[in-house]
Amino acid sequence: MTAVQIVFLAVAALTLAAAVMVVSLRRMMQSALALILALVGVAVIFALLGSGFFAVSQVVVYIGAIAILIIFAVMLTQNSMSPEHSQMNPGFLYAALGSALLFSSLVFILSMWVGFYAIPVNLDPSVDTITVLGLSLTDPQGFALPFEIVSVLLLAALIGGIYIARDHHRD
Amino acid sequence: MPTVNDFLLILPEVVLLIWALLILLIDLWIPDTKKYYTAVLSAAGLVISAGCAFALLGRTGSAFSNMVVLDGFSSVLSILFLLSGLAAVALAYDYLKRNAAQRGEYYTLLLFSIAGMMLMASANDLIMVFLSLELLSIPLYILAGFFRPRLASEEAALKYFLLGAFSSAILLFGIAWIYGSTGHTDFPGIVASIDGGRANYLLLLIGAGLLLVGFGFKIGVFPFHMWVPDTYQGSPSSIGAFMTVATKAAGFAALLRVFLVLFPAEAPIMAGILWGLSAASMIFGNTVAIAQMNMKRLLAYSSIANAGYILMAFVPYGNPVIAQEAVSSALFYLLAYALTSFGAWAVMIALEPAESDGLLLQDFSGLGRKYPWLGAALLISMLSFIGVPLTMGFWGKFYLFKTAVDGSQIPLVLIGLLTSLVSAYYYLRIVMFAYFKPGEPQIQPGRWASVVAVICAAGIFVLSFIPTPVFQFAAQMIMGMK
Amino acid sequence: MAPISYYLVLAIIMFFIGILGVLIRRNALIVFMSLELMFNAANLVFVAFSRQYQALNGQISVFFVMTVAAAEVAIGLALMVTIFRTKHSIDVDQMNNLKG
Repeated sequence: MTAVQIVFLAVAALTLAAAVMVVSLRRMMQSALALILALVGVAVIFALLGSGFFAVSQVVVYIGAIAILIIFAVMLTQNSMSPEHSQMNPGFLYAALGSALLFSSLVFILSMWVGFYAIPVNLDPSVDTITVLGLSLTDPQGFALPFEIVSVLLLAALIGGIYIARDHHRD
Repeated sequence: MPTVNDFLLILPEVVLLIWALLILLIDLWIPDTKKYYTAVLSAAGLVISAGCAFALLGRTGSAFSNMVVLDGFSSVLSILFLLSGLAAVALAYDYLKRNAAQRGEYYTLLLFSIAGMMLMASANDLIMVFLSLELLSIPLYILAGFFRPRLASEEAALKYFLLGAFSSAILLFGIAWIYGSTGHTDFPGIVASIDGGRANYLLLLIGAGLLLVGFGFKIGVFPFHMWVPDTYQGSPSSIGAFMTVATKAAGFAALLRVFLVLFPAEAPIMAGILWGLSAASMIFGNTVAIAQMNMKRLLAYSSIANAGYILMAFVPYGNPVIAQEAVSSALFYLLAYALTSFGAWAVMIALEPAESDGLLLQDFSGLGRKYPWLGAALLISMLSFIGVPLTMGFWGKFYLFKTAVDGSQIPLVLIGLLTSLVSAYYYLRIVMFAYFKPGEPQIQPGRWASVVAVICAAGIFVLSFIPTPVFQFAAQMIMGMK
Repeated sequence: MAPISYYLVLAIIMFFIGILGVLIRRNALIVFMSLELMFNAANLVFVAFSRQYQALNGQISVFFVMTVAAAEVAIGLALMVTIFRTKHSIDVDQMNNLKG
């Protein structure tokens, strides 16, 4: 077992533990903090996969923006669940069983795939991935159209967020 | 550099998006008392975009290095989306005024959503499918909650949002596995990889299954339907009407294209799943609808059943001959369903008072005598839902059943026929209330909803005399697909 | 370098933890956090395969997914905050105003 593999296993265990905490902890704020931990874990794994740019984006976008927004929402909706109520759906056992079944069949199918155990070759260090990514986002023969659509999408979300959240009495 | 041709092929979408941005700006200077200008402007935008789509009819090609394709399938659906948008604007104008929610954002977001649908029908890359799905959904989440701070509307929006995002996540996970299987997200690349034997079958199958679940939520078939009744009931009625028709059509557009182009080899396995989804939706939608006394919920369950009918023709899609027929009959049925559904919703919106969660069936009592035109529109819509001859609904079901028979899906056709008989009970009950029960329904101020109802009813009736040319047009249009 | 399967299994487990969270939790915000886990799992699959194929087109998808997630968080949290103002609860199961 190489050092990278040990790092991977440690980070993966941490990420999964954090993910379990997100869905199992009772208090929203604790869940939100666990979510940040899980997102950091994913960022480290991006870095291990040689995708430094997305490791940074993960930290900046997911943790810096999305998780912080979630924490704001948690603070704005304090005491939103009545404490005497269970936090679980009534049918959660069936849901858990169903997903466990699906999960094991998925992994079983995957384990039959040969490429599953392949170790990826090392990346060519001479290729500047960020430049390639940036150029292809603005290249009409690349991803310019999806890029434009995403910009419209963000505008729609902006308009919608303002419309939904603005003060009702001032309309 | 992008060529002129690239932009020409997506001209309707570009026009619509630019128009939406202009409306957003112009609306700032339109005073609250004159919001009909915004409605008229957005209708004009839809008409211009539809004009562009008509002009491009029959043209084929791909733009932006295979991100989108233009073919008959996407052209016909684009026109359907734009006309649905026109109906949604017409239904909204008086309705929003009645409910004191006359805001320009409604029209901007509606136009964004329609652009997303049009892109979805022509998407030729899985990333484009995902992004256009989001572009159509995110404005709809807000439109569903447009009547905030009314609780029903907010809850409808939250439920729609949570389940919509859930389905997007599943869809995205599926796309990731298809990428893993083939190394591509663009359709030509995926097809080349599959044909070249480089694609991994197992991963592709996992991806196809996840994609089916994701689309299943969007079209609202049986096990993935939980959001449908609540969202349709809590949303503004004009948006409920728009969602039953246009969102469903957009979901089917992506489903048909993705499965026909990418997964013909998985057809034997997928056919069984599609069979189950279709049969379960027809049975579930039609039986639960019987118990509904609220018109909006009834139409919601009827929409689940109708999704099952459309899926029925698509079960034997692995057979290329049947697949052509299935797509053209699905297109034809979507047109018939659009007219019928808008007709029924429009009658309801014409009568629906402010702050209501949808009319009860009793509220239609006496409609036929007091407002003969509206009563007739309701009658024709209901007959078309059942599939009685002399309506578009009959021909829609006829072609769907015929396709299913050609694909030797006899048990499914029997289920379809039997559930249609069951559905006759609850559709005719509405007619019974409207014509044989005494009552004094009151039409709400504003005539646009009534106009839409009468136009749709007329369309259902008149087009039923020329079904074959319409069907052949649909069939001819999809010849260029793939 | 660990085999690609490690990353994929991690992504699958994360995806199913997310699905479980969506299905069993009643708090809308925690459901939303579980959705973020699902999106992250999909991103992991994209990046892992992108590494496998030495191709960048998978990573581009991650870029778009992050943007979409940002748009969704804006809408979702606005909805939750506004519904909380009206009702003082974000319990999905208590949304009985519309009878399911």
